Amino acid sequence: MRGQKQGKRKSRLAAAAGLLVAIAAIATVSVTGASADSARSSSGEISGAGATFPAPLIAVWQQRYEAAKSVKVNYNAIGSGGGIAAITQKTVDFGASDAPLTPDQFSACGGCVQLPWVLSATSVMYNMPLKNNLHMTGPVLADIYLGKIKKWNDARIKQINPGVSIPDQDITVVYRSDGSGTSYNFTSYLNTVSAKWKSQVGHGTTVNWPTGVGARGSSGVAGVVSRTTGAIGYADIAYALRNHLKFFSMKNRAGQYRRPGLVGIRAASLADRKFSPTNELSIVNPPGGKKFRKAYPICTYSYVLLRTQSQKASLLKPFVTWALTTGQQYGPPLVFQPIPPYVVARGKATLKKVHS
Amino acid sequence: MAVAPRSATGPAAFKRRGRFRPGDTVLYVITLAAALSGLVLLVLIARELLTAAWPAMDRFGLDFLTTKAWDPNKKLFGAASFIFGTAVTSIGALLLATPISIAIALFLTELAPRGVRGAVGVLVDMLAAIPSVVLGLWGILVLGPFIVNTLAPALHGTLGFLPIFSTKPSVGSNVFAAILILTIMIVPIISSICRELFLGVPQELKDGALALGATRWEVARGVTFPYARAGIAAALILGLGRAVGEAIAVSQVIGNNVAIHWSLFDAGDTLASRIAGQYIGADTKLQINSLVYLAVILLVFSLVVNVLAQIIVRRVAGRHSAA
Repeated sequence: MRGQKQGKRKSRLAAAAGLLVAIAAIATVSVTGASADSARSSSGEISGAGATFPAPLIAVWQQRYEAAKSVKVNYNAIGSGGGIAAITQKTVDFGASDAPLTPDQFSACGGCVQLPWVLSATSVMYNMPLKNNLHMTGPVLADIYLGKIKKWNDARIKQINPGVSIPDQDITVVYRSDGSGTSYNFTSYLNTVSAKWKSQVGHGTTVNWPTGVGARGSSGVAGVVSRTTGAIGYADIAYALRNHLKFFSMKNRAGQYRRPGLVGIRAASLADRKFSPTNELSIVNPPGGKKFRKAYPICTYSYVLLRTQSQKASLLKPFVTWALTTGQQYGPPLVFQPIPPYVVARGKATLKKVHS
Repeated sequence: MAVAPRSATGPAAFKRRGRFRPGDTVLYVITLAAALSGLVLLVLIARELLTAAWPAMDRFGLDFLTTKAWDPNKKLFGAASFIFGTAVTSIGALLLATPISIAIALFLTELAPRGVRGAVGVLVDMLAAIPSVVLGLWGILVLGPFIVNTLAPALHGTLGFLPIFSTKPSVGSNVFAAILILTIMIVPIISSICRELFLGVPQELKDGALALGATRWEVARGVTFPYARAGIAAALILGLGRAVGEAIAVSQVIGNNVAIHWSLFDAGDTLASRIAGQYIGADTKLQINSLVYLAVILLVFSLVVNVLAQIIVRRVAGRHSAA
């Protein structure tokens, strides 16, 4: 009997030992697997993360660039805030953000540069069963988002839409609940058209929305808007177009109502040609005047964030240069206006600071 | 064969047999490590959270709990509206789920024909297997519009004098949607535990009551419920814990608004939902610190709920065995 027991114990011991060996083996495999992964990525692979706004264009770049240069570009559209965090923590080779870095973020990042690489517009979407394309002005939009205008048939909305019979319908304000460069662009615009907005709310990727409901991502906002009669929300124009949502013609300072499109974006891009020391350009709500007659007032550059000292510099610099030049031609079908030559030049000059 | 006395535990229990048995030592070490790892993990998580939340805790102190604002631009953060939202959604879900779950369990153990029991039981349990993000999507696409078009007009029309139904929603994202989603999530948890509990009630007791002429309901009320009291309380608290911690599905349907509204048809937010929604896109260190502060509150909340469950179970069980 004892012999039997001992035998059993031995086999149990053997099983335990086997298990340990198996665990060790799995651990070894996963470790070597990981190192194999990193080895592969160092030869022709770069990774980035950040804003959703440029994501449709970056998706095209990924395909075209890999086909042309056989360098694989990974991009994770996790939002501007996430992109800033990722480049700060060095978990990616490049970040992307619609909101330029704040001085705090620059110092936290330690040796980062940013340059504008994508140019597009934010559309203000609405859901009303009306055939007409509705007009909207900045001050009225700000008061809607402040919760001061609650009804569609408010006198101020009727006044800018003469001849349209707008029914008595509650307005549902929809905003991005996650940190978002689109929110940054949108609130920067409201800042310029409403003193009340500027003092009470301000601009940023996340703000203290006075009213409304939040939804996650452009898809979340567009989803709530499309399912809710009377809703108003905002998303990048490419998104609104792809999903066949209605959007306002916005009044610019030249007094024209403009739809977000390539013409409007190009005109707006003329509004700021003076780079800040950190390559910022602000083109929301361009001034009035003949030059800006066609400008759409809620446009923005989106930025790529790079570390000046990067192991992948030899792969990153050619990719970003390609994106600034060749890559721009893939923009217009997605309503990304190619960036003007002086922005390309500035970008190339900034890239010179990046080294391995 | 010599058997170690039951009271002796630890390595001494093995040594007493006079012979060194490596297998037993290995077993002891492995099980001890497993037992300790849970504790160590909890301590490490708590420490990490406190470290990451410290700048916000230092800056806002306990005022954080009573501050309603969440304003990155003014560098002002507070948890009041999220604590309120968490309490309202989880308690609301518990109030709805309790009668439903107990009814399901009672039906399946006492009333349903044999053939039905298995099938319905499996289906109810399968509700628990729906990933929360899928349930959230269903909440957005089906439940939200249903609330706006059907449920809310009816409730507002008949019970509109109650503060909780005092507004009419224009959009499917609201606190009520979150409550319903959470209810669906916790019903299978509570009902499956209750089912096991009711099955554990000795048949003699039930037979005795029936023999005395008690109706089915009287048996349930007089025998089954008192017998399973402690377990039901624990099941409810488990359900509550699940509802308090759920992030994704809630953040999909609740409307993510920083506000304290009495009407369930307005948008709100919960602790877990806010953390899930904003951590990745957070701009400033202070915002991240504040989000982690929310996580600390959530952790304390959950620990309190769990300890409460233990206390209730012990107390009710003690009273029960004494009776």
